[in-house]
Amino acid sequence: MNEMDKTTLSEDIRTALRMVIDPEIGKNIVDLGLVYDIAVEEGGVVSVTMTTTTRFCPATDFLKEAVQACVWYVPGVEYAEVRLTYEPPWTPDMMLDVA
Amino acid sequence: MPGATLSRWTMSYFAAACLMLVAGQGLMVAGYGYPFADISAPETLVVVHLIAIGWLSLLMAGALLQFVPVLIARPVIGGRFAMPALLLLLGGLGCLLGGFVALSGALDLPLALLPIGGVMLLAGFGLFAGILAVTLLSARPLPLPARFVATGLAALVGAALIGSAFTATLSGFTESPLLDRLVADGVALHAALGLGGWLSATAVGVSYRLFSMFLLAPEVERSTSRAAWWGASVAVGLVVVAVVFVLSGIFGAALLFAAALLLTLMAVMLYGADVLHIYRGRKRKQAELNIRASFAALGLCALSILLLNVPSLRSGNMVAAVVYLFVFGWLTGLGLAQLYKIVAFLTWLEAYGPVLGRAPVPRVQDLVDERHALILFRLYYGAVGIAVLSLAAGTTGFFRMAVAGQLLSTLCLIREFIRARRLSIVPAALRAPAGMVRPRLFLPLSAFQGDK
Repeated sequence: MNEMDKTTLSEDIRTALRMVIDPEIGKNIVDLGLVYDIAVEEGGVVSVTMTTTTRFCPATDFLKEAVQACVWYVPGVEYAEVRLTYEPPWTPDMMLDVA
Repeated sequence: MPGATLSRWTMSYFAAACLMLVAGQGLMVAGYGYPFADISAPETLVVVHLIAIGWLSLLMAGALLQFVPVLIARPVIGGRFAMPALLLLLGGLGCLLGGFVALSGALDLPLALLPIGGVMLLAGFGLFAGILAVTLLSARPLPLPARFVATGLAALVGAALIGSAFTATLSGFTESPLLDRLVADGVALHAALGLGGWLSATAVGVSYRLFSMFLLAPEVERSTSRAAWWGASVAVGLVVVAVVFVLSGIFGAALLFAAALLLTLMAVMLYGADVLHIYRGRKRKQAELNIRASFAALGLCALSILLLNVPSLRSGNMVAAVVYLFVFGWLTGLGLAQLYKIVAFLTWLEAYGPVLGRAPVPRVQDLVDERHALILFRLYYGAVGIAVLSLAAGTTGFFRMAVAGQLLSTLCLIREFIRARRLSIVPAALRAPAGMVRPRLFLPLSAFQGDK
């Protein structure tokens, strides 16, 4: 897997994650800036680092599970790991598009 | 574990609370309690406790079980005791109301129901406060919104202790000059701890976080917010000292109570300034209906606290009107406004959370019909305004019609909550994706979905 393949896979994942919405805001988590990083390693091993708008929001586990499920379905992904972080904490300024 | 942060019993607390609100308003429409009976008559006590414990306290308890984890970023400890606490509270309230009915002489019920109800309520509130106290202790140092909740819990314990002492005295099971003085001069203090300390301080604390969350505004702990918490906490402390003064027969309780009201007014003004700051810093262009309806409640809170600070309005018809404004304008208005959002939010999590990322799902906002609910909130607040003016003017006929308007709007809002639970408003194409589990109306989540 060369660098271009990794970049392509990363973009495919980013596109797929646009299907996952934050239920409260109604916008997808990518445009909201909740996906901090998508790291693609050799062999289609993917690590997604994400956050939620509010720490310990009741939707947190559902969002994490949704990202996990979504990434697994992207062709080329052999293994996916989702990591939740609050460093840095999300702020509304991270949104690509104002809700 | 998916959904582990959902509180299993919150919806059951809410359902019981809504039933009590309907029952309380229904009794008033039927001409039961004040102003059709004396302000301290047992009939009035039935209505007051149906609203204060049955509606407002159950609503607040259910909401805190769900949202305290959001305030402190930790799960609730001992969430399995939420159901026993609910049963104790419902049983205790039933006995208490039965005891008041016995006092009124309308039915031949045993007066022992009063102290039994008092003890059960003390146990129920104690259990609930214990769950949250242990949870909050695990998260020290507490963020500011959670400190408001801690103040509210302390006031709840105080109000419940005084209330159970009242039941022992009123039923004749205990004869003590100490408690006789408390019954004679401590009713306002009991109400202040319950309606002000417990229900209002916690509502303010949770709303700091919810307003920022729903308006997409940055969360900043301002000096005004800290001053508001200090003001509210010292006010609760002054009321507790006033209770000690009353019990000891020391002069000065009224002065302490007046000082507590003044501090509360200051705290409410600071809180209002903070809410305005949050609103101005929002990223969401249009505030949703629950926020707009909450702002109306906040305005009525400030108005009622301002009026309570006028000594001449703290007696007779006027105090009843002002307290009515506080209970139905502020606390109930805020409660209905937030329920409108929270019911849809929790329903979304139950129904669509498990299929998120696997199928297209609606937004939380797709579960409600704001245009319809806006009319209902306008009707509700309009009816409250007329009811307050009728109480002040002593026109019972108008009051009854106004409460009928409140009851109608409440019933229609409850219908909206049920429509949200049943996903009736969700566009058909998104309503039932594969794998979706339809939520129960008010029964708890299954064990694997909820907290432990």
